[in-house]
Amino acid sequence: MYKDPKPKKITMDEWSVRFKNIDNKTIKKFVYYNNHDWGLYLQPPATFMVYGTRELRRLRFDNSLAALRMWGFVFNESERLFRARQSGKKIVATMGDLGTVSIIVMAFPDCIPFYPECIWWTPFFNESTVLLDLASELGAPEAACFSRAALAAFVKKAYFPKPDYIFASTGATCDDYSCIMQSIEHLGYDFMWLEVPLRRSPAKHVSMDSLVKTKNGFEYPRRFEEYLIKEYEKVWQKMVEITGIDDQNLLMVSIKKANQVRTLVEKIKRTTYQAGNAPFPALELMTIEFGNLYGYADMDEWIRILEMIYETIVERTKKNIGIISEDAIPIAWVNPTADPYLLDYVERIGLRVVDTEYVINQALVEIDEQIEPFRALAQSFMQASLIGSTAQRISSINKAMRTGKIEGILITNMLGGSHCAMETKLMERLLKDKPVLAIDVPAPFGITEQIKTRLQAFAEVLHERRK
Amino acid sequence: MELNPSDIPDTRLIGYTCPHIPIEILSSTGCKPYCLLHGDYALMQQGTRYARIDACPLVRANIAYVIENKSKFAALVGTTGCDMSRRMFDILGEHTRIPVYLMHMPRTDNRQIFSNEIDWLVKQLEYLSGEKITERLVREIESWETVRRIMRELDAKRMSRPTTLLTSDFHTAAQYYYKGEVNIPTTFSEKPSSKPRVYLIGSEVSYESGDFLRLLEDDLSIVGDFVCGLSRFLNISISEKNLSGIKEAYYNQPPCIYRRPNRVFYDHVAGQIKKRICDGIIGFTLDYCDSYEFELKKMEERFRLPLLRIRTDYSFQKISQLKTRITAFGEMLAP
Repeated sequence: MYKDPKPKKITMDEWSVRFKNIDNKTIKKFVYYNNHDWGLYLQPPATFMVYGTRELRRLRFDNSLAALRMWGFVFNESERLFRARQSGKKIVATMGDLGTVSIIVMAFPDCIPFYPECIWWTPFFNESTVLLDLASELGAPEAACFSRAALAAFVKKAYFPKPDYIFASTGATCDDYSCIMQSIEHLGYDFMWLEVPLRRSPAKHVSMDSLVKTKNGFEYPRRFEEYLIKEYEKVWQKMVEITGIDDQNLLMVSIKKANQVRTLVEKIKRTTYQAGNAPFPALELMTIEFGNLYGYADMDEWIRILEMIYETIVERTKKNIGIISEDAIPIAWVNPTADPYLLDYVERIGLRVVDTEYVINQALVEIDEQIEPFRALAQSFMQASLIGSTAQRISSINKAMRTGKIEGILITNMLGGSHCAMETKLMERLLKDKPVLAIDVPAPFGITEQIKTRLQAFAEVLHERRK
Repeated sequence: MELNPSDIPDTRLIGYTCPHIPIEILSSTGCKPYCLLHGDYALMQQGTRYARIDACPLVRANIAYVIENKSKFAALVGTTGCDMSRRMFDILGEHTRIPVYLMHMPRTDNRQIFSNEIDWLVKQLEYLSGEKITERLVREIESWETVRRIMRELDAKRMSRPTTLLTSDFHTAAQYYYKGEVNIPTTFSEKPSSKPRVYLIGSEVSYESGDFLRLLEDDLSIVGDFVCGLSRFLNISISEKNLSGIKEAYYNQPPCIYRRPNRVFYDHVAGQIKKRICDGIIGFTLDYCDSYEFELKKMEERFRLPLLRIRTDYSFQKISQLKTRITAFGEMLAP
């Protein structure tokens, strides 16, 4: 069995050399869909680079087997979805809600949910503008969220199989993806639209509603929760229609599984962020967080991967061994970056990510297993990042800043992204007196020396403040 | 003839943003319903202090306008209609002490949500104003229905063939409606025009857009539109003079382009283009207005008419270039 060397971030080429030390038994141990005939996925990053993921040449990766396993699994997703189709599983696109509808879909045997918007990383990993160029030809404006790559992917038909059905959530959330989903529907796909309610704080004096309080203390009118329950019941009925199965016990099982992932990820984040030395890199951690959405199309295997990662992190923490400089400055990261390189780069310049607001809070919170399942899902979704106010969105970061756990905030925006355009200056105001750097993530190949210099200057300012 | 903010009597205003917010309810509080439709370039520049440069120009100008004139506003009412517009209220809530009421405007066809949200709004405004809104509704409905009837008569003139009323004049009259004034001007010089007939569709036309409309009308006749700031409110017709009637009328108006799916929007516009015998379409979009930018290609395919795309930040700095494009479009459409 391969034994992890001293923790370190290494290059793709270094992984290729190390991979020779991994025996066949280990390689064959890790499979997706429990299929040992065609479900192998453990590969060195260079394999995926050869197939087009060219940015891997520039990135540095954690050198643990757990991290390698994670990357192999994540980069294998496209193959996995096509295999799922070949083996008779139903492929269901769950768009826009980032993390809740997928749990309902997963409750049905042999139904695989996926989030097409996650393809927004592909142009960056592939160092290719093919998808973005095609999206423009299809009518998407250039100043819009990079998730417009999903529109092109639906046309290309090479990144995921044609979904058997699509659930699309819209409402009190970002406009860019709502427009992208509408453009996808124009292509002729079969859709069900779902309403995402606003998490409106109750009026101080007049209320016609009974209120619900989220675990993080935000109140909202109960009727908004009732709307969501109705939407989730519609999803259930459609899935019953598609599969011929109607057993709500399966939904409870699916919720438990989602909670298993969410609990594991919370433990991974907490252990990593609280450790004296950073035991795991920021890029890998972002990839872990986004696994909460749908387990990269195989929840069971994803849970096993997370368990292995957690063990690795715990072991490193016990030994107080980190993968970046010990005096790296802790920062919070707001909005996920479309270009993974930035997460790697900030660690090179002495910053350490210890808190995140990646617009997926709804996928991180634990779902109540003691109440009726649709209500439990609705209550978890009502904690979503983008359906409330900006102040609510950054409240936990603000709190962490005040306690000194975080020394700076990095906001990564998309030019023209509706919430980016409106939230950034307000965040800067709400985080008053705290060092905040907001940058626009440029299109592939766009990370210039100017952007690097701004990041370096930000790191220098934070280091200076410590003196 | 154009209405300036200083011309508005000293009544306090309730600022609002969305054509689905019933102005009858707002005016029943004793305040004037004032639609936030500011597109002044200087205001927009000021607005960049509060929102990024890639925020909607209208939203930026409105933020600056409200902050500059905050003492005039008794309240602000918005919806979740468009994301930037919704988030504008977050910013205004932070920078002013004006009470803000944000309604969840359903993006999907969901009458129940809309109805409940109207009930919620009435309760909030009754508390704010101390007025029993439902008791004053009949008078307000009658008053605003009269204004809409007069505006429909003006609209009929620009729709007629040949058209006899300029849309820039219609815009002047519409400003009174949007600024909460019931005494709208009705007398405009009427000259038949044989210029190519176009339909205007897209982002909001601001209070300051008169010059832009006149520029278009140098070469074209705008005989209809589906644009906030122009004639969208003509689709509201209240038959039952009570809160239920208001809910019906405001919910049943043709939905915005951001309704999902947006088939009803397309069907409505296709019907209008046919009814108004249009030769072409002006696709007018503000910078970063995704709701329309994403749909322009679909519009070309669906309406099968020449479409001139005009994208602006309201500055019209390249006015000569724009004029040349409009003239060329007019020449192309001319028989």
